[in-house]
Amino acid sequence: MNSEFTLAEVDRDGAIQEAIEEVSGDSRAGFLTKAAVLSGGLIGGGAVLGALASPAAAATKNDVAIANFALTLEYLEAEFYTEAVRMGALRGQTLRFAQVVGAHERAHVAALKKMLGRAAVRKPTFNFRGTTENAAKFEATAVLLEDTGVAAYKGQAGLIDSTAILNAALAIHTVEARHASWARRISGKSPAPAAFDKPKTKAQILAAVNGTKFIVSQPQMSAQGTPSFTG
Amino acid sequence: MAVLAALISLGVFSAIAYAREPTTSTPGAVRIPETPYERAEEAAPALAGAASSGPVVLSRPDQRSFWAPVTRLVAVRSRPTRAARVVARLRTRTPEGTVNAVLLLERIERRGRLWLKVRLPVLPNNTVGWVPRESLGGYQTVTTHLVVDRRRLNAVLFRSGRPVFRARIAIGQGRWPTPAGKFYIRNKLTGYRSAFYGPIAFGTSARSAVLTDWPAGGFVGIHGTNRPDLIPGRISHGCIRLKNGDLIRLSRLMSPGTPLTIR
Repeated sequence: MNSEFTLAEVDRDGAIQEAIEEVSGDSRAGFLTKAAVLSGGLIGGGAVLGALASPAAAATKNDVAIANFALTLEYLEAEFYTEAVRMGALRGQTLRFAQVVGAHERAHVAALKKMLGRAAVRKPTFNFRGTTENAAKFEATAVLLEDTGVAAYKGQAGLIDSTAILNAALAIHTVEARHASWARRISGKSPAPAAFDKPKTKAQILAAVNGTKFIVSQPQMSAQGTPSFTG
Repeated sequence: MAVLAALISLGVFSAIAYAREPTTSTPGAVRIPETPYERAEEAAPALAGAASSGPVVLSRPDQRSFWAPVTRLVAVRSRPTRAARVVARLRTRTPEGTVNAVLLLERIERRGRLWLKVRLPVLPNNTVGWVPRESLGGYQTVTTHLVVDRRRLNAVLFRSGRPVFRARIAIGQGRWPTPAGKFYIRNKLTGYRSAFYGPIAFGTSARSAVLTDWPAGGFVGIHGTNRPDLIPGRISHGCIRLKNGDLIRLSRLMSPGTPLTIR
């Protein structure tokens, strides 16, 4: 059985794929419906990131795609830290880092899901391949994920249409940068290795995420067929 | 030139960011949820006894349990070392065609290699063993736990230690007893036409110690029935039968990977 899947294979309804494609691409079927749903979600969402003055401003294909792209990365980070803490292989400052950053990433997921409403992509299934169960592997992976997250937000910031969503993205982006510095310090790397950061494109981020092989197919635990149990 | 461009870009970017600094009184401002530093540990507590050199207990049925799919044919060892005795071999698929999965009990790292102690769907019932981490897929979690009481003839589903479902059941006759022990829900079958099994059937890791020549090896299932009048009772070949309505209700609350205790 091949358990290795790409993002595209996981993304059954095409929402993530849309997020990783160039935002100037063709309109996706059903977009208007989702945009309307998004608008409704934003109006009804109340606090957090959904407090937008003009829901219509966020209801662009561009912003839905970017927000879902961000949500996918946040799912990945949140699950990584949550599992690492639960696995019990961390101690001291590394455990503290995982607990605090994990709480942040879960808050990012919750905020983005609330903002997107029914347009939010579903959480993929992950296999962290032992990186949550060994402190050294965890630290190295945390640096990779946080550096990737920082570069991803930076790469998308200039493409966001809505001022409110841009503000939200910037609020997350700076926190991801703090995470990256913290992770780097814990793993013995320079917290701020350069005077200027470079953004990464969606294609570059996708390649990095696929390279981890952390996103896998959901295990098929149900089937259609007559049971052969003892009865 | 590149640095100049970057500086200009950074300056513009920063200017935009500061110009749009949100305040609570500004219409359209984005309110960021606060995640207090002090609350982080409460959100995802580490396992007790963590980061020690000994095994770390993973599954606690009254709180949270871990399971994982088997992604390659693997020999299960009696101890976490390749030199240990083979107690079973795990395939990647069940006889029903679903992904084979195991309940994760403990984790340990030995000489740079991760090992998982797992509960096995083999005879004798209650067998456990160790497999290398790389033979398993991603970890999944459940907070449910199904407890079957053979004396009281009932089943109770707990979520995070609290009962959320209760129903009367039928179990095996004296000559084909429902085995006691610790097991887990292995899969879920739907879409078949069998009044005998009812609308849904859960496969478990429990096996009849008597009906070993039963098709597929005599696994104990949890399923519905076309004879609700026999529930509660001791009338089956070892399977756990529920009235169809109860089973449908259970299926909405319980997923594969859930620990099963039969006592």
